Amino acid sequence: MKDLRTVGRRTGALAAAIALVTAGAACGSSSPSSTSSSSPSSITVAVAYPAPPKALLDQFTKQTGITVNWVNIGWDDLQTKIAAAMSANTYFADAADVDWSKVGEYEKTGWFIPLNQYFNVSSLSSDMPQLGTFIVDGKLIGMPFDSSFIVTTANANDFKKAGITSMPTTLAGWSSALGKVGKANGMANPLDIQFATAEGLSTCWYQMTAAFGGSVLSSSYSPEFTSPSSPGYKAMTWMVNAYKSGLVPKANINVTDYDGFTTEMAKNRVAAVMCDYSGSVASIYNVPSSSSVVNQTEYVQTPGATGPGMNVANPDGIGIPRNAHNVAGAVKFIKWFTSTENQAIWAGLDGPKDVVSTFPLPARLSSFKLLEKAGNIGQASQLAAILAAHAKAPFPNGAPPWYVQFSAAVQTNIHEAAAGQETIAQAVSAIANTVNQLKASG
Amino acid sequence: MRTRLRRQLLPYILVSPLLVFIVALSFVPTVDTTVEAFFRVMPLDPPTAFTGVGNFRALFDNPAIVTSWVNTAVYVAIGVVASVVLGTAIAVALRRRFRFRGIMLALVILPWALPSVVEAVIWSWIYNPTFGVLNSALKSLHAIGGYHVWLGLDRWLTIALIEIVQVWQITPLSALIIMAALQSIPPDLYEAARVDGAGALSSFRRISLPLIRPAVAVAAVEALVLSLNIFDQVYILNGIAPLGSSVMLQTYVTTFEDLNFGGGYALSLLVTAATALASMAMLALLYRRTEAAVT
Repeated sequence: MKDLRTVGRRTGALAAAIALVTAGAACGSSSPSSTSSSSPSSITVAVAYPAPPKALLDQFTKQTGITVNWVNIGWDDLQTKIAAAMSANTYFADAADVDWSKVGEYEKTGWFIPLNQYFNVSSLSSDMPQLGTFIVDGKLIGMPFDSSFIVTTANANDFKKAGITSMPTTLAGWSSALGKVGKANGMANPLDIQFATAEGLSTCWYQMTAAFGGSVLSSSYSPEFTSPSSPGYKAMTWMVNAYKSGLVPKANINVTDYDGFTTEMAKNRVAAVMCDYSGSVASIYNVPSSSSVVNQTEYVQTPGATGPGMNVANPDGIGIPRNAHNVAGAVKFIKWFTSTENQAIWAGLDGPKDVVSTFPLPARLSSFKLLEKAGNIGQASQLAAILAAHAKAPFPNGAPPWYVQFSAAVQTNIHEAAAGQETIAQAVSAIANTVNQLKASG
Repeated sequence: MRTRLRRQLLPYILVSPLLVFIVALSFVPTVDTTVEAFFRVMPLDPPTAFTGVGNFRALFDNPAIVTSWVNTAVYVAIGVVASVVLGTAIAVALRRRFRFRGIMLALVILPWALPSVVEAVIWSWIYNPTFGVLNSALKSLHAIGGYHVWLGLDRWLTIALIEIVQVWQITPLSALIIMAALQSIPPDLYEAARVDGAGALSSFRRISLPLIRPAVAVAAVEALVLSLNIFDQVYILNGIAPLGSSVMLQTYVTTFEDLNFGGGYALSLLVTAATALASMAMLALLYRRTEAAVT
């Protein structure tokens, strides 16, 4: 009896300890927002970008009394952190990255505050050609803070050595020209296209589909690439053939980071890059410390099926998460960060000291004009011309709300097709099945 | 009375800090994961809803995940066999005292001490198709005509090369475990065997191997758990491509790339169950309590 009582007491003590611990754990998880917050006189900005120079941020603080805590996180990690914080309903930042591909998801989940009450969409549209990418059902989910778009870059010297002085404007012409360029420059594989399973491969397919004159999804998000005569099917075939025929380095199947990918061009091991990022010439290829092709590369018209093709826009935006502590401060910061003059300054208007590293292009046409006036900094006029006439959104009705899963299917299957693990028809069918399932599940 | 009560409570008080950690960091998440595995949890597509075995069914309908299970089985087979065989060989070689033994031991242990991410990055340069040491060494030896792309094109080659990196990391641990067992064998046994005319190989087969069997079992289970949960090496060397993907990588992809938390919970639950079952099977197969009769 005594033993039983002892056991009972011990069990009771153990149960009490477990209950205490579990309650403690539960209490601990119920107040996550108690850490890492901003005071009313400060804001936290979380983006996949280096900060502007401190002196300029100090100017913002002087003007507004708001201190900026800048958090630069790698793009992929940042997307995961945003999703984790927002699904846990915790504070993350006062202003955070809104990628073009996430706009549909954020509108659906309500993770970001619509900015319409703070920014005049109709007056901004004429100056910000890519503003529409951030609007879903009339809601402005983020403000574009650059106008990045996919471009084609070429090493003019390498092409000249092969006797090619005017760039071909069709894909067939490019294939033939690249063969000559490879021979003339002793390059086994003269064309760079990313084939690793990463977002860049998905984006490249959208770009190549645009170059063939179409889109991968219709405005109702149905697959438009299943027919062999469709631009999407042709684009995938062209890409995979370019890889298999040896135009593209075999190693690209596994080059997973953008730096490694662009190094090939910077070190002159390739003569052209398909699906490059606008801004690479100034921020990578013309940097003497890491490039051997300084002042040799240039943006060229993206080749299409029968003539110059379209360029897919993939701008970065900034928005305000719904759990932001300092919304007013975040609005002031976004206005300052995306202003005409500052956008031009980030791109080099006031010289290299104020440049934001890796900043591709200003989001505003008025900023381009400032750059052109100051001496066509960073080939501003060429890029402005491509932006005005050829840049288009990859999805006619904005990115679908299930973009994450769609992009995963795209990159995985194109990679598998290039690696010879499946045929083009199988890759197309697998992606189409994913789209249909995602659509069916709402 | 109060002293007695205090004495009775003391063990619980002493254990409680550990209990806090185990319950908060292991028990609660495990229960939470088990429950949530039966719910559709997709932050990008709310609401959360009970789905029964729906998540599990979806996992087996996903060809990338099915492929990753097969790949993981190959990772485990290579990892366990190679690390145990090499670990035993290293243990035997380092068992006796010789000059520079300490340095040799330190060198052998080094890969185990390095973080797996660092090792994978080092090996990514070794396998690099343009500048890699592997290509240049093989070309110098005229074993290959031109530089090869080692990873990402051939499924089995990719898996084998990635697993080599892990074997390189986990073998030192196997070697240490087995060496400790080898050193605990009384020298008299070998002496007696030598008197009876047994050679080195025969002594190893008939004395060492049976007596180190429990240590081999522990090393094998260690290798099994690590290779079944292989992630860093696969992610760094081959990205998220299904070709060489492991089941842990697919858990990451499902949870954090696809943001399908319910599917991720279900898959991690399956990985946990597979790890536990395989470990128990391995122990049952290899572990045999052996006592050296020392007289």
